[in-house]
Formats: sequence, C-alpha cells, structure tokens
Amino acid sequence: MDALVNVEAVSRRFPLDHSYVSALDHASFRVEAGDFLAIAGPSGSGKSTLLNLIGCIDKPTGGRILVEEVDTSRLKPASMTALRREKIGFVFQTFNLIPVFTAAENVEFPLLVQGVSARERRTRVSEALESVGLSSRAHHRPDLLSGGERQRIAVARAIVHRPALVLADEPTANLDTHNATQLIDLMRGLNQRLGLTFIFSTHDARLLEHTPRIIRLCDGQVISDSSTEGASHGQVLAARV
Amino acid sequence: MGKFLLLAFRNLFRNRRRTLMTLMMVGGGVTGLLLVGGFFAFMFWGLRETTINDGLGHLQIFTTEHFNREEKHVLDTGIDNWRQVAATVSTGGHVRGVAPRIEFYGMLSNGVKSSVFMGSAVDPVAENTLGFSPRLAAGRDLDTKPGGEVEALIGAGVARSMSVKPGDGLTLLAVTSDGALNGIDVQIVGVVNTGFKEMDDRYLRITLASAQRLLESDRVTNLVVGLDATENTDKVAADLGPRLRGLPQNLTLKKWIDLAAYYKQVRSLFSMIFIFLGIIVFFMVLMSSVNTLLMTMFERTREIGTMLAMGTPRSWIIALFVLEATLLGVMGAMVGVAGGNLLGVLLNHSGLHLPPPPGTTSPMRFQVLHVPSLMIGSSILVVVSLALASILPAIRASRLQIAEALAHV
Repeated sequence: MDALVNVEAVSRRFPLDHSYVSALDHASFRVEAGDFLAIAGPSGSGKSTLLNLIGCIDKPTGGRILVEEVDTSRLKPASMTALRREKIGFVFQTFNLIPVFTAAENVEFPLLVQGVSARERRTRVSEALESVGLSSRAHHRPDLLSGGERQRIAVARAIVHRPALVLADEPTANLDTHNATQLIDLMRGLNQRLGLTFIFSTHDARLLEHTPRIIRLCDGQVISDSSTEGASHGQVLAARV
Repeated sequence: MGKFLLLAFRNLFRNRRRTLMTLMMVGGGVTGLLLVGGFFAFMFWGLRETTINDGLGHLQIFTTEHFNREEKHVLDTGIDNWRQVAATVSTGGHVRGVAPRIEFYGMLSNGVKSSVFMGSAVDPVAENTLGFSPRLAAGRDLDTKPGGEVEALIGAGVARSMSVKPGDGLTLLAVTSDGALNGIDVQIVGVVNTGFKEMDDRYLRITLASAQRLLESDRVTNLVVGLDATENTDKVAADLGPRLRGLPQNLTLKKWIDLAAYYKQVRSLFSMIFIFLGIIVFFMVLMSSVNTLLMTMFERTREIGTMLAMGTPRSWIIALFVLEATLLGVMGAMVGVAGGNLLGVLLNHSGLHLPPPPGTTSPMRFQVLHVPSLMIGSSILVVVSLALASILPAIRASRLQIAEALAHV
C-alpha cells in the first residue's frame, strides 16, 4: 500500500555566516494513513524542521518528501499552497489563533480559504467544535479562552477541512500537564474515530505514553522508530526508563 | 468576502490608539483641505458675483462680425436693431433686464490739455435695473432722466491728469460712423475708481443717447443681459441661442465666464495653490501611513505566517492589507468631512474678517462654503493615498517566509 507520507533521506541545512548548520540529516521513514505518530527529541534535534518540511512550509536541501505520492520538493509555490490548503491541517505551539475572530470564525477560516459555501461552512464548523467539545465557546474570542481551550480550537481549525494529515508542532508546550494530556487524548480520539493521520512533535516524555508510534530524533538524525523496531508501547516506555 | 471584510475591519481596532492617531492625521488632512477649499470657493463665488454685478452681466450679445473682423468705422460691427433684440431677450425666463452698451474711443480736452479715453456709453435706467453701478470716488452717477447737460463720469486717473473734478467741463472728440470728426461738451458729474490704474487713466462713461449723438449712429456695441441667478446662465444661454438665430442680424451670445479674464486668472492661480496643498496632504498621509502600516505588518508577522501555512494565497494577504488601509482611509475621510464641516460652521459664525484685498478698502469676511464635490474629492485623495501606502507593507507581508514568520517573536 502507498504511504501517505514518504520521507526519503531528507536533509535540511541552513546557512550560518560562511558555513552552514545541519538541522536534519538523511532522515527516512514512512507514515501510513491513520497513523498517530510522535516525533520526539530534545530541543534543537530537528523536530520542527522535519514538520515544516512535511507540511510544505519549507523545502529540503537533500532527499525528497512524497505526500500521497506527490514529490513536494518539485512543486511550484502555488501548488505547495494548494497542497497545504487541501491536504494538511496545522496545530501550533502558540495556538496562533486570529485574535479578532471568534472561536467559530477561527475554525471557519480554512474553509473560507477553500471557498466552501456559507451553509457548508456553518455545518462543518459546528461539527468541528462539537468534536473538540467546545460548541458552547463558539462565539468567544481567543483572549476569553483558557490555554487548553485555545489549543482545542486550533485542533478544530486543523481538522475542519478534513485534511489527509494533521501536523502539530509542540502542541502541548504551552499547556499544563492536565491540559496537555487532555489534548493528546483528544487528538488520539479523533485519530481513532475519524481515521485522521496525526504527526506531532514533543519533547515531553509523559505524552508519549499515549502514542502508539514514536520516531526519535537527535542532532537531526532519526535514531529510532518504534514501528520498525516492532517495539510495543510497553517496551518503548521501558527503554526510555 | 464578508468575513474577509470583517477581518479587515476588526483588525483596525487591534491597536486603538494607533488607529485613532491615524484617523486624526487623515481626518486633519481632509479638514484642512475642506477649510482652505471652502474658503477659496467662497472667494471664487464673491469674485464671480462682483465681476458680474460690476457690469459684466451674465450674458452679452454681440454681432458675429464683431469677433470676425476689425471695425473700419466705429460701430460698423454693432447691433443695429438692438431694441428688437433686447425685447426678444427680455421675454425669456430668468432674465432681469437687458442693458445696451457702446464701447468707443476718442480724445478729451480741458482746453489746455488733451488725452485719449476709452469710453463706455450706457443706459442709466437699464443699468440701475440690473444693479450695475460704478464705484464712485467722488460726485454721483449719471442722471437717469434724459435731457439737460451731457453728463460724464471719468476715471480717477483722468481727473488727476486733466485737473478736473465734478462740476467741471470737458470736450470729447470722436470719429463718427461715417468717418468724420465730431465733438460734444460734457459736464463731469462723478469720478470713478475701478481698482485698476490703467483703467482709471482712460475711463470715461456717458449716456447711450449722448454717445449715439457723438458717433452719429443708432447702433450699439453689445447688449448686456442680467439674470436672476448666475446658476441659470447655461440654461438661459441654451434657450436664447435658437431665438437669436431667428433675428435678421447674425448674433453671438457670450457667457460671463468667456469674458471674465481676470476672474479666470485668479481662479486658475488659487486652484493651483489648492492642488499644491492637496499634493502636500497626499504625501503627508502616504509617508506617515507607510510607517504605521509597516509596524502593523511586523506585529502580525506570526499571524500572517499562520494564514500562509493554512494555504491562504499570498494575493489574499496583499488584499487584506490594502483593504484595511482603504477602510482606514474611508473612516479618516468621514472624520475629516465631519470635522471640516463643523469647523466651517463655527468659523462662519465667528465673524472673522481678513485684511482688505489689494484694491479695496473693506476687510474681507472669512467664510467657508460647504462644497460637496470638495468633500468627495478630498475623501478620494486620502483613501487613494492610504491604499497606496499599504502596498509596500502588503507586498512585504505576502512575501514572508512561512517558517521564519511562524518563529517570529
């Protein structure tokens, strides 16, 4: 079966003065549709860089990434924009909600960009808010919501247009443990209920307990992939301890 | 589109103080333009009415020949059946009256000294009907009753040069319509100050009957038509044209604006000053808004990055910034129009007077007219200025690297 995402020997180097720094070095793995995948590693290990490359926000300096068999490194900017718009949902560490929009309007935004009709937008926004349990907060602006609520709204925004893939870069970094666990549980629930593929990065070891597949990065290199190791969730935990 | 407009509108109020400052700046520019433009409009209106009521009238009728060739003899391009023409014109709507005139040249003498004059012969009754009266520096106007001595008004320069005053006599010499030399004695009844030295040095005015006797002709140079309101000039001119074409002589109708060279010069000068002022306001708004909008763009870098990450086309980001600036311009224009009109009303009721303009002795009342076209024009100016000011920040925002923008603190 074709992979949803195929990362093939991907490298990303950034220029620094007269030299360069390697943020990602020959990373390779596959993500199947319906996966719930954590990319773990310490700060500076290349997690965000990898997510940016998969999300077509950045281009690799080596290797290639295929999303639904499309080589994203060969795409023109307009096609990359279209791919992000149609296929990918984003959740950010700092929520990144539009402050002048209400929760419902924030969730509606990706549909606006896609040109979905007003009636369809209303239905889908309502469903998305319900799926994150925040229907009652639909007309609140972000500054009136708690951190946990804001991030759940961000998740609703990421899934409202029914993307093939949801990318979440350190989604729990600004949340307390309770809210962080709730968020991961929410994303896992959506993954199981709707079959959505999630890839999220984290350096919080506690959250990995809820994650069936973990790819570990260190200094830009993939040092382990629990799926290829055939390790069980318990084994991964044991190894970490 | 509605949500997009809503987003742009709400973004204006994210930093209320900055928006308020921008609105005050834009509004101040519009207010300034309305006050200056409104005052200029009042000046133009005053000069227009003065020009018309000083004797130019709203319309003047000449023979077509008058403009096609030089006169071989005096009045040989004049209107010969002028009473019929005047009667035809008088029956039209909005016409207050018709005054015949003769423009002629000659010599005047006090017995010791001679000088050239530029004469104007008028019907005092018709002139009074139209409210035309010369600016007398001494004496009185021409008598409206026919008979008695031949009366004359002379310019202040003529009076000075010929050493005469009201009550003294002069002899006028002119070539008749047959080419012969003729002369009449006149009594000076008044001295006129036209405000123009060159005019005062040559000015002479006598009655139409006296001039026709001197020139031995029943013709007149032209007919001056006075209307009930200047605004009706075009309408009456359009009505009169076909009616004049039915008369025996070929006649031409001239509107006051075609004959008011001084008015046009003044208007042109002040219009240029106003345009210059408009350009200053335009660039003032443009330059200060570019800075403000760039600050806004930097503050919203991460938000723009988020929108781009979600697949928002870059053209939408440009459109959003231009729309925000345009909305700001519209609001600023509304503030400016309200402020300009309010200040205009206050100034009009303040009794403010300016020093007398050159050639006059009375202080000039400061009055601001409320001109709708000026309000629309000034508003368009600032809206366009702000829209242009937003282009640079908008393009910068649209070209942000998404990954860098998302990492922006």
